[in-house]
Amino acid sequence: MSRAFRFAWLSIVRQPSRALLGVLGIAAVGALLFDMLLLSRGLVLSFRDLLGREGFDVRVIATEAPPPLGPPIDNATSAAAAIAALADVEAVSQIRFLDVEIAGSGRVDAAGLETTASSDLEFIAIDPRVRSPWTILEGRDLAAESSGEARPLLVNRLVARQLDLSPGSAVTLRGLCGRAGEALPAVPFTVAGIAEFPFDDERAKTVGGRLEDVERLCGERADDAADALLVRSRGDADATAAAIRAVRPELHVATNEELVERFSRVEFSYFRQISFVLASVTVFFGFLLIAVLLTVSVNQRLGEIAALRALGLSRGRVVAGVLWESVMLVGAGGLLAIPFGLALSAWLDRILRALPGIPVAVSFFVFEPRALALHAALLAVAAVAAALYPMRIVATLPIAATLRREVVS
Amino acid sequence: MTARRIVLLGGLVAALAAVPGSVARQEDPAPAVLVSRQLADREGLRVGDRVRLSADPTGNGAEGFRIEGIYEPMADPMRFAQSRLEARLHLPDLLALTADGDPGIAEPITTINVDLVEGADARAFAADVRARLPGLVARPTDAPNERTTTFLVLERFHLAIAVVTVVGSAVFLLALMVMLVDERRSTVGILRLIGFTRRRILVQVLAEGALIALAGAIFGILFALATEGLFNRFFQWRYDTPLVFLRITPAVAAQSLLLAVPLGIAASLIASWTLLRQRLLALIRR
Repeated sequence: MSRAFRFAWLSIVRQPSRALLGVLGIAAVGALLFDMLLLSRGLVLSFRDLLGREGFDVRVIATEAPPPLGPPIDNATSAAAAIAALADVEAVSQIRFLDVEIAGSGRVDAAGLETTASSDLEFIAIDPRVRSPWTILEGRDLAAESSGEARPLLVNRLVARQLDLSPGSAVTLRGLCGRAGEALPAVPFTVAGIAEFPFDDERAKTVGGRLEDVERLCGERADDAADALLVRSRGDADATAAAIRAVRPELHVATNEELVERFSRVEFSYFRQISFVLASVTVFFGFLLIAVLLTVSVNQRLGEIAALRALGLSRGRVVAGVLWESVMLVGAGGLLAIPFGLALSAWLDRILRALPGIPVAVSFFVFEPRALALHAALLAVAAVAAALYPMRIVATLPIAATLRREVVS
Repeated sequence: MTARRIVLLGGLVAALAAVPGSVARQEDPAPAVLVSRQLADREGLRVGDRVRLSADPTGNGAEGFRIEGIYEPMADPMRFAQSRLEARLHLPDLLALTADGDPGIAEPITTINVDLVEGADARAFAADVRARLPGLVARPTDAPNERTTTFLVLERFHLAIAVVTVVGSAVFLLALMVMLVDERRSTVGILRLIGFTRRRILVQVLAEGALIALAGAIFGILFALATEGLFNRFFQWRYDTPLVFLRITPAVAAQSLLLAVPLGIAASLIASWTLLRQRLLALIRR
């Protein structure tokens, strides 16, 4: 084995420029293959991580349609109470999405008039007594109890930057709960902190408040409804989901894993399909590249190989040498492909994250050991398959006829 | 009977309970409804069947409808991965189904589509509507929106992948040309010995490289054309959509030629030059 390896090594180093080009070709193809393997499950892994970060493992909505496409859950308080009473449930949080606009920044200009900056925002309302789904970056979280007249509000970085808000700033919001053009009362808030909302995309202007603030913002249009109930189970999410389905069969209950599976099957399937197609093409391309390089290389060295055979080198050693040559070229190219692929994936990820509605925290290309193992396995198969034909040429080489032809030519 | 959720017109989700086996009669007073082919397939619905639709997920307040026809939803690239479980109602029927008892919002609608007279300026009209009806959003259908952004991003992504593929192909081509030229070392040496100039040999190699690159590019385009239908049929089957996923247009073919031929020529030039710049005796291995 080691002799065959040495034989292959000597063949490669004798023509370094050719070997280098072969390795670079494999590295380029391998980088694309590696990226497609990262892409095939990247969104799923990233989405699973995003859902897990919120600290809830079961979600309850009114229908299969996710908020805000679907209708809200009516009588949400009693539904939340019924679910919270289940033995498997540790906590339940109602969540409500609402469109609001800035009614006034709370600041006054030189003329003493309040400055206004009308801008549509998404208001996410939760029960602050349960763990918040967002991450506080600056300031403090919503207080469970009202400490004064001003209602606490969290804003994301974009809102804070565009409206020049910081903890302590005053801001007045108006709910967009009724008909177009209907004027609802303006409600004053005080910015308690700046937060990162898990599902925000780059253009999202999100603010967070308390459920009780929805009543103020929507006036008489406020109802006891929730867009979703976030549930944290005590252990087994599937068992908790089953228990919730049993007590509230009219609601749609899904664990995080079921949501991930659904998104993987439907919403993310385009990227899975395209990664499968491109991975297949790149593996075939790599196979073709090595097969052609080895075949031409072997054909150029037929006389030399016949001479070595005539000197006593066994058929097995020469054939194994060709296989080793393929493995070395593909191995070197495959190793080089990993850093190339990681750099390339960062570039491709930046391109894809410009898609509208993609949360900032989501990545299309996520590294996992499984992708690395698959990358190695696919390249190994390509290396062996590419070596088969040149190995056959060497194995069936007629020594005497080849030497004679070499001398005559 | 299990209620199913479907989408009615502008995104309203409704509960559907099918009443199988009931065939419509001419005098059937139930209002007509159209259902998408996908919904009909999934629920086993046929023209003439009676269904009950409700705007409430629990099925409360359901009204009876008669399936007047089954339609193929317009292909939407933004929703090709989703199952099109939809139904179309007459607007008054939908409004009656969704009325919440508030007389102030007796006729809520999502969108008004406006067809302007020939030559009218859609942007000016939209601006006029926004000025006259504050609170409403009016925009021309060709205005940039989320949809165009999505496809622009996907186009950039595909272009980036194409660039990487071309780089890989170029390296492959260069390796191949280096080997082919090396194989001709003695031929080139003999040509130089009998008086061929370096320039003449180079021009010959360039012409050969151009021909090979052109032939390769044409083969590639023909291969893509031959497999275009296969790819489309697979994805159309996979997503149950008439959308065309892959289309080899003259512009795409021209782009491929413009990339492939210069790359082929450059590869043969680089590979040949490394050989031609060697001394004559080295070429003939003396």
